[in-house]
Amino acid sequence: MQQGPRVGRQSAIRIFANEYRDASLPEEGSGEYDPSFIITKIGAKVNRALVCGVIDRVERRESENGPNYSAHIRDPTGTHLFNVASFQPELHPDFEELMARYETGDRFLLALVGKARWFETEDGGIFTSLRAEEFTIIDKECYTNWLVQTADATLRRIDAHAASLESDLTPAALDAAGVPSDLVDGLILARGHYGEFDPEAYRVGVLQALSTATGKTSVIEAQPEPEAAPTLQETSPEATTQKAPAEPSDAVDAIVEAIRSRDTGQGVDYNDIVAALVNAGHSREAAEDAIDSARDQGEVMEPRFGFFQLVPE
Amino acid sequence: MTDEGRYAAQVTIVKQECPDADEGDIAEEFRRYEEEFLIPPEDALRSVVRKFQAATGMELKQIAQPEKVEKKVDKFADLDADDRNVTIEVAVISYTPRVQMVRGEERQVAFGWIEDNPWQSGDQRERWDFKDWGEKAENLAPGSIVRLEGASVNEWNDKRSLNINRTTRVTVLKEGGASAVQISDEPSPIVEASQREGFVNLVARLISSKPDVIVKRDGSGELDVVRGRLGDSSGTISFLSWVPLEHEPGTVLKIDGASIRKFRDTPEVNIGDRTRIEVFHDSAFVSMEDLEQANKVSISELRNGMRDIEVTVQVESWESRSFVSEDGTERIVRSGDVIDPTGRCRLTAWCETEPSRGDFLHLTGARVQYWQGSPDLVIDDAAQITNLSDAPWEPIDPEVHWVEIDLTSMVNGGSRRGISTSGTVVAVRPDSGIIERCPECRRVLRDGACGEHGPQRGEEDLRLRFVIDNGISNASLLLSKDASEAFLETDQESIKEEISKTGSDGFVASLREKLIAKRLIVKGRSIVDDQGAMLLADEVGYDATSAHDAANEVIQRWGVIL
Repeated sequence: MQQGPRVGRQSAIRIFANEYRDASLPEEGSGEYDPSFIITKIGAKVNRALVCGVIDRVERRESENGPNYSAHIRDPTGTHLFNVASFQPELHPDFEELMARYETGDRFLLALVGKARWFETEDGGIFTSLRAEEFTIIDKECYTNWLVQTADATLRRIDAHAASLESDLTPAALDAAGVPSDLVDGLILARGHYGEFDPEAYRVGVLQALSTATGKTSVIEAQPEPEAAPTLQETSPEATTQKAPAEPSDAVDAIVEAIRSRDTGQGVDYNDIVAALVNAGHSREAAEDAIDSARDQGEVMEPRFGFFQLVPE
Repeated sequence: MTDEGRYAAQVTIVKQECPDADEGDIAEEFRRYEEEFLIPPEDALRSVVRKFQAATGMELKQIAQPEKVEKKVDKFADLDADDRNVTIEVAVISYTPRVQMVRGEERQVAFGWIEDNPWQSGDQRERWDFKDWGEKAENLAPGSIVRLEGASVNEWNDKRSLNINRTTRVTVLKEGGASAVQISDEPSPIVEASQREGFVNLVARLISSKPDVIVKRDGSGELDVVRGRLGDSSGTISFLSWVPLEHEPGTVLKIDGASIRKFRDTPEVNIGDRTRIEVFHDSAFVSMEDLEQANKVSISELRNGMRDIEVTVQVESWESRSFVSEDGTERIVRSGDVIDPTGRCRLTAWCETEPSRGDFLHLTGARVQYWQGSPDLVIDDAAQITNLSDAPWEPIDPEVHWVEIDLTSMVNGGSRRGISTSGTVVAVRPDSGIIERCPECRRVLRDGACGEHGPQRGEEDLRLRFVIDNGISNASLLLSKDASEAFLETDQESIKEEISKTGSDGFVASLREKLIAKRLIVKGRSIVDDQGAMLLADEVGYDATSAHDAANEVIQRWGVIL
């Protein structure tokens, strides 16, 4: 009818990968212009995030609407998946440049401002990721500053979450318990959705970040091969990464099985296959690698972007 | 108008279904639904039809829905008296709930004001009354902009209003203030009352009161009003009374049924003919002396629309200028920059006063209005000024007077000058760089044309636009030519040359590379309004705090043991 109202810009939440990856509660606004959020277990309400880390996996996919890109960046706690959509052509040249540099074997630190997005798999699993708005290569000093800011923000959330455990889940009670106003909504939603968990898991990244900044350990910069470098994922209490890595050949079998059991003629969604493999004990990275190689080797085919079918015998 | 007339549209529909029913009886039934059961005629239709079908011995059958073609309009003026399914976007101005007892049950209805053209400024809007029959308080907070779907027009004594029914869909397009207050007879503390808009009861001491006159905008005359200030132990608030108020300052009053409205950015108590005022006796009530203290504010607390405040300032500069006013007389306005330990603002005097740089002035009865988005102190009478011989603080050096404030306090506060804040760059606007301005009005040209003055040969200018963010709040950051040149350590000509080589995309990409995720310290002024917060920078620099120091601060703040 008239020009739309300007909803205030959402601030960029500083968040480590494990907190964002663990989140499984999307909140879609009810009003026409309301923003959507991912609510994390300790109450961050993420519509926009500022994340940093070393580049790790970069991919271009062609689609009817032009190319789109996805990449991972790794921080001390895990990886953030982000993408550049085909409808963001203004970002494509910069991303191509980044990809060219990556493909020469160079690894570098990246800062990313992205909008929260998620996929829901058929069995109800939620995968969180970010759609890039701004990204740039940064130096170690800038990265360390981000680590400290993110440690601060994470501790603030852990503290607010702890305060919420002693309080009624109403805005007034949380306010009285000292929960900062920007975390009240998120904590009420998080506490109502997530079961019991140990928030100490999120201290791992905090301690790593603060140790790095104060010079107690060296920063993890530019790991040439993620598999070869020690990552903090191994010390994190996340169950999926504790499982013994499954053999790649198992993964291909699992992919074939996942497609066979789910395909009703339309193909099976990429994310459902990833979910099936993660459930079978593969890491997310290994699952994505396995799907790529299964496709490249002709074990499965991708007739339409993001949907896989078995190759007819 | 008779009941038949008022409910004519509904009566016609009932007549179609029940031709034997008496029109007067039908109208009477609608009146009962509306007045006794608080169900508006639109919602009562089915019940009334069913009643008359039974009464006239007809078998019950599905009633044909009245023709409910959606009517989508932008303005109230486009509505007709019998429109029953209206879609319109409106601004909610007030929302006053009332509980009424209906057959032993409490029902909440509400009435208030709405305005059309909600995205335009006030003088282009028309105001109507509305009645909420559907308990939609949650979505009708004063200050919000909503879309109504399925509202209906009501005409009564030639005055039209809008009914919001149970079936009306209310979509909030822009959040308002706190949602409408639950009604209670308990008086509210002033500090709470000023957080919201709408109906309020207060017990407060009358601090000041003086008659005033409001000239009607349409030129149809003048209204006598009373303005002044009320206070309790929680705070003070100004009031505007549309009815005579003869109590002496100092009296404690119990005020029931006033309403809080915002004048510019400042809440104000409105007293009307529905308000009941009586003298209240409480010897323990906060004293006049204590309340007068409460009018004292610092520059950082100034808000547009404040009146009758007391403030102490140090003069930084002073000048006078004369101009010819609309009525042809020559007038002199004096103004200057003033500072206090909390910030900086302009002072405008419509009276004869010539302070010198460095003087300390104590101002009483000052008012605040916005000039170019920043609060400006105004005084009208030299008697309001006392030049202090005793310095209230060590003289401040205006050249280096920047008041540090964190980004979140800045965004949640009012517009301020002379502040320093910090945040991380999370966006570089693609229109950063060389722009062309209209030589007439300085607006940025788009495709070589000014919105106001048409195609122009533009004047080149340099500006940078970023967004800075601290993880909780964010603000637009605008660097003018001087600030941009100093920050980038280059000049407009060199930037122009760079853009001619790499294109403006290349220039913006180079800014991104330099700035995304970098922490900046910004000195300048803030403009905070409904659109968010904007910082106009005088000086911008990188935050040189080392990660090591920042980490130690975090370790201390949260008691981390490594």
